[in-house]
Order: sequence, then structure tokens, then C-alpha cells
Amino acid sequence: MAATPMAPSAPPEAKGVSRRGFLGAMAAVAAAVGSAGLFLGRTASAAVVPVARPSAAQMKRLLAYYRTKPRWASWLVPELNVDDGWQHWMRTILNSKNLPIAHDNFSRIGTTIKQTHHWVMVIDERRCIGCQACVVACKDENNVPVGVFRTWVDVVETGEMVPDPAGPIVTDVGNYRSEVKRSSMPLICNHCDHPPCVDVCPVKATFKRADGIVMIDYDLCIGCGYCVQACPYNARFFNPVQQTADKCTFCAHRLDRGLLPACVTSCPTHARVFGDKNDPTSEVSTLLATQATTVLKEDLGTDPQVFYINREQEVYDENSTGNTVYPYSANLNSTDYATLSGNAPLPGDTGGQR
Amino acid sequence: MPPTNYYGSGLEQGVWGLMIVTYPFISGLVAGSFVVATLSQLFGRKRLAPLAPLAALLSFALLLAAPLTIWGDARQPSRVYELITRMHVPWSPMALFLLIWISYVVLMLVELYAVFRAGNAARAQWADQPLRAKLAGLLTLGVRGRDARSTRRDERIVRWTAGIGILIAFLFHGYIGFIFGSMKSRALWSSPLIPVLFIVSAIVSGIALVQLAYFAVAKWHGWKIDHEVVAELNAWLVGALLLDFYLDMIELLMSGVRAYAPEETYEWFSRLYFHGPLFWTYFLFQLGLGVVLPLIALATKRWRASIVNSGVMAFLVLVGVFMMRWNVVAGGQMASKVTNDIVSFPLVWTGYDSVQTVLGVFGVAFLLFLLFAWIFPWKTGFEHAPTSKAPAPVPPPTLAKTSPAATSTVVERPVPAPSSTTMGASHVSSTVESQWEGANSGDR
Repeated sequence: MAATPMAPSAPPEAKGVSRRGFLGAMAAVAAAVGSAGLFLGRTASAAVVPVARPSAAQMKRLLAYYRTKPRWASWLVPELNVDDGWQHWMRTILNSKNLPIAHDNFSRIGTTIKQTHHWVMVIDERRCIGCQACVVACKDENNVPVGVFRTWVDVVETGEMVPDPAGPIVTDVGNYRSEVKRSSMPLICNHCDHPPCVDVCPVKATFKRADGIVMIDYDLCIGCGYCVQACPYNARFFNPVQQTADKCTFCAHRLDRGLLPACVTSCPTHARVFGDKNDPTSEVSTLLATQATTVLKEDLGTDPQVFYINREQEVYDENSTGNTVYPYSANLNSTDYATLSGNAPLPGDTGGQR
Repeated sequence: MPPTNYYGSGLEQGVWGLMIVTYPFISGLVAGSFVVATLSQLFGRKRLAPLAPLAALLSFALLLAAPLTIWGDARQPSRVYELITRMHVPWSPMALFLLIWISYVVLMLVELYAVFRAGNAARAQWADQPLRAKLAGLLTLGVRGRDARSTRRDERIVRWTAGIGILIAFLFHGYIGFIFGSMKSRALWSSPLIPVLFIVSAIVSGIALVQLAYFAVAKWHGWKIDHEVVAELNAWLVGALLLDFYLDMIELLMSGVRAYAPEETYEWFSRLYFHGPLFWTYFLFQLGLGVVLPLIALATKRWRASIVNSGVMAFLVLVGVFMMRWNVVAGGQMASKVTNDIVSFPLVWTGYDSVQTVLGVFGVAFLLFLLFAWIFPWKTGFEHAPTSKAPAPVPPPTLAKTSPAATSTVVERPVPAPSSTTMGASHVSSTVESQWEGANSGDR
């Protein structure tokens, strides 16, 4: 860890280095690099670009720097460095060892664990046009592999065809009028205040930051799948490239540098609003105070922190067969896909069997 | 490493595959066969005593193989040490795995030591196989007494370990059921009935496994199968099956009847089990062939004593219990959490999380069983059964050696190994010492 160039400024080469001291320092550097590769670079090593090895004098300055300064740039007190590329974000900004985080007993956040920010998202379904720009932006920003999604937009159909003698739809068994409504439903990790996925992790690889973001340490995840099962919103998945659980991070790496999440900046209609719930002047606080909002699967007691305006309440929570949810990312082997492609009867055609 | 196409292109996938179907099945066999062993060790069913060492060995072999399923299912198996270094207790039930498993292994080692100590002490005197004799001597940990007092002490240890072990066995299997039953995100798993159902079906499967193993070893060695033992084991099987059937019916009524069940539970239960892809595995294999047919076929004592009948029924029960695990694990994941879609749950034949790996795990368990069967003298209880392969042993003139007076003396030092002609006489004597010598004769 010490071998990575994280000093704010590279110190100039000091003069008068003895041969013995130089050799010793080089041995120390080699040991540090080797052990860092052994113990830290398990998953991310493929992504880390090779960096120039610091000289002995640089190493001395680095060590002196780390003795006086915190070893990590926290998201509460960002100490950012242009040399510290995104490749190192797991070891520095998001090093779970150094963050005020909780693996369980989440009531501590905001009480014994100090909470300066409380990031939440408000999704206004009236504004969503289903353009999927957020899905693409998320994939681009977070390098999400093909086939899995950190955020996605479902297409929801509610209502039914009502028999009506004056209806415009003429069939052999009578006329119908359509009372079907179609809407788009952006979905994302809810960053619950009581996340069951974090409680169940057997190795404390996933955690909840004090600012509310639920994250995974990919270097610790053993890939057991328990959190994927325990999430009621299907927000977690297995990353097929890095072979660990993966999920939305609210773009924590962007937040820590003062940027909005990628899905929020890319939304053309401002359907996704992001901000600090603890700040009474923020837009999310205003929306939460003035608009009627709902959360997903409220009865499970997970206390989600993604709020919806004007959501079709019954769609997501009850899996009612009267409604149909078509993810654009539908499973090709699924009944939904068969339905869309005309190879399976539509829900209404089964005579109430489903 | 799983192939990327395992994930398909779907939004929701069943991430726990066939290995996780097998894990509760194997751990159920572990707990169930341990319960069979305790029937004679703790609950005084002396007729089943010959089966206890066999059941204990089966339980131990499967116990050692069981973690291979979850280890093979984990995407990052090289980080398994974190279960010790970063154990998230008591919040995560899965984190308890290593604690429970290690305590179970330790307990089984103690139990196996006590069960086989006398037999190993007898084996330690074998002259013609010095290596095995040395191994047996090591396994006695230096305690070579074979008199009644030593046997009583062994039995006391076995009683204690059986009593504690039955709790740990239920804990081992119960925590798996708890992982499923406590999952509030899944409508079909989230039920307090699941852990109980798992434990009861574990007992069912364990009895059936011991039954089949008894037939197999008897066939292999040419022993005559004791119909009384078969009938008694089947009686226990019927009792466990009745309890299993009761719990199955409770589950069916409380999930599959619209008036009784929460809406989401009912919707998914009816879509998957009544009209969906799990109809045959649930109604035909799990309930029909796995529970109802064995209950009918083992109804009378005469049928229970029939070897062919009970062999077939034990096999069907095992298939039914495996299908019950499949229905729970696959069914729970087929019910989508976020859409109205049935999630596909493909059966993979080779590679990661497949039939191939499951067969591998069972193969490892079988090899471990063969190894333990070679190490431990488990055949002692079957000595009363006449063999069809070997000729009947002739009582030699040295019969006086096993007089009752010899039984009460403590064997201070190993007696010289008896020759092969004298060992055959043991079955006519009922003394403790000669019984173990008899074990010696039939145990080559």
C-alpha cells in the first residue's frame, strides 16, 4: 500500500544517499510492493496500471508524510490527489477499515456514528420517459459488465381491457375499451436504512457508510450469494467479471469528489433528484416535504432511501398478476420474454389460471 | 470459475444452483444418519445397535464432504479463511457455519473414538497386518482395555456425545433451514416452518440412507440381512415420514390456499407448484413417491420386514427428500422478487455448480466412507449374522480361553494376537472380549 504514489507532491531526489541505505530502501520497497500485490491486489490487480517505483528518498518522504497525515482520503475530509487514479479507490477513498461504517445494528448511524450527510434519491415517475439514459450512463461510469445492471428502468403496464358496448376495440366476443396505463419505473439500490443484505454477510464484506450508502468491499467478498438473495429489490447481482457481489454505490467515487451520480446527471428530464436529506434546503428535502412519496416494499421494514413520486403503488409491492412488468433487460429464457415475442399467452389469455 | 453465460442476459437469476440444493440434502443425511446412530446409543433401541457404527461412519464421511458444496458454490473460494478472520456473528446465520461444523467434527471424532476404541484395541494385536495394527493402536490413544469396565466407560462417552451431538446435528441442519426461512425477501422461503421441515426430512433421509447402506454392505460381504432390524428401522422411518407428511400438508395448506396464505405467497406457490414447472417434482416426487407411497408400502409389519420393498422405498424416500430440497431452493428463486416473471433455473450438467460437481461431492463422500470403513472396525455388530461367503467357523479346542472369568479381569498389557483358527470361535461366546476378537475374525 505504501508503494503506491499517494503523496500530494512528489518530493525531489534527496542528495547524499549511501549505497547501503539505497539498497536497504530498495529491498524495503520491493518487499512492500510484493506484499501489496500479494495481499491487496487480489481482484483489482488486473486493473491497476503499473506505476513508477519511488526512489529511496521518495520512499522516506512518503513514510514521513503518512506518519503525520491520515493514510487515506476520507469522504468526510476529502484529500484528493490527481495522481490517485480511480484504480486505487478501493484502497483509499473507500477503504472500509478507515470509514465510519456499520455492518449491523444500523440504528447507530445518526446516533453514535456521526452523520453529516444523508444521501437520498427522489424519483419522479411523472417525469420519466423511459429513455434508459441512466442505465447507459451507469454502465459507462461504473464499468458494469454485459448482462447485469446497477440501475434499470422497468416498463409497467397496469389496468385491463374493460368490456364496453361502445368501446372502440371490436372483437368476436364483444367490444372493449382500454383502461391500460403504461409507465416507466426507474429502479436502483434503495440504500435502505436497515438493509438486510448487509446484516446477512458472513464476512462483513458489505457495509453501510454513515452517509447512508450501502457498499461492497470487492476485495473481501467471498461470493456466497447470501446478500443477493436477501435483497428484496433485486438490486444486487453477481458481477460476472470480478466474481463478487456487486451493486449500485450511488456513484460514491463521484460523490466524494462533489459530483452527482451518473444516472442523475444523465437524466434529461430531471426525473432523478439526488441530495442530502439532512440539508433542509436541498431539493430532495423540499420534494420530500412538499410531495407525496412512497418507497418500495415498505412492509418489509427495510426503510428504503429512494423515494418515488406518483408511483403505481400496487405494481412493485404485490406482484399482482393484473399488472405486467417488462424489464427491457428481460431474461431471454423467461416467460416474460416469451410473452413479448408472442410465444406464450398473454396474462389475460390463460383463463385466470395464472 | 463460472462461465459468463451462466448469468444469461437476465435481470434476475437464481444464484444458488444445484450445489446449494445438494448442501441441505447432504447435511440432512449427516444429521439423519447421526439420529439413527443415537437410536441405539442414547434411546436404548438395542436391536439397532449393529447399525450404529455404520451410521456414525456415514454421518462423518458426509459431514466432511458437506462443505465442499458451499465451497464450490462460492465465487471466491480462496477467501474462505475470512469466515474465521471476519466472522460476522451473531448477525449472519451463515457465519455460524464454521463454528457449528468444527464443533460437530470434534464431537464426531470423540464419538468415533469411543465407539471403536475396543475394536481398535483388539485390532492392535493383529500380527499379520502390522501397519493396520499400529494404526488401530494409535486410534485407541493408548487405552487398550477390553473388559466390561472399559466398555461401560466407552458407552458412557458415546451416550454423552450422542446426546450433545443430536443437538449439534439439529443445529447444523437447522441453521441451513434458518437461512432459507429467515429470508424475508423471498415469499416462498420466508416461513418459520422451513427449519422444522428441513430437520424432519433430514431424519427421514438419514434413516433411508442407513437402510440402503445396510443392504449394500450386507450384499457386499454376503451377510444375511436381519429382518427384525429392517422392520424396526422402517418403523422409525414411518414415524418420521408421518411427521414429515404432517408438516408438508401444513405448508401446502398455508401456502397453496388463497384464503390462508399471503397474496404473494399464494400467487407464487400456485404458479410454480400447481400449474408451473415444479408440479411433478412437488406432487409426484416429493409428496407422492417420497412420502405417501412409502407410508402405504410400509404400513404393515410384514411389508416393513421385506427387504426388496424397504430397499425400493428407502431409495424413493431419498429421491423425494432431494426433490424437496430442489423444490425449496429452486422454487424460492424461480419466484421473481421484482417482476411477474418466473425466473429460469437451468439444470447445468458440467462445470460450475452442475450435476458434475454434485456427483464429485458425493464421490468424495463415498471415498471418505471407504477410507473410514477401512480404518475403523465397524463390522463388529454384524457378527451374529451368518455369512454366506465364508464357511461356518469351527469351534476350536481353545474355547476355554474365553471363559466368563476372563471377562472381569482388566487387560493390563496387550495379549498376544490369537491365531486365525482360534478367532473363529468367538461367535459362540457372548463375552465382551471374545466379541471383539470375533470382530477381528470377520473384519479382514
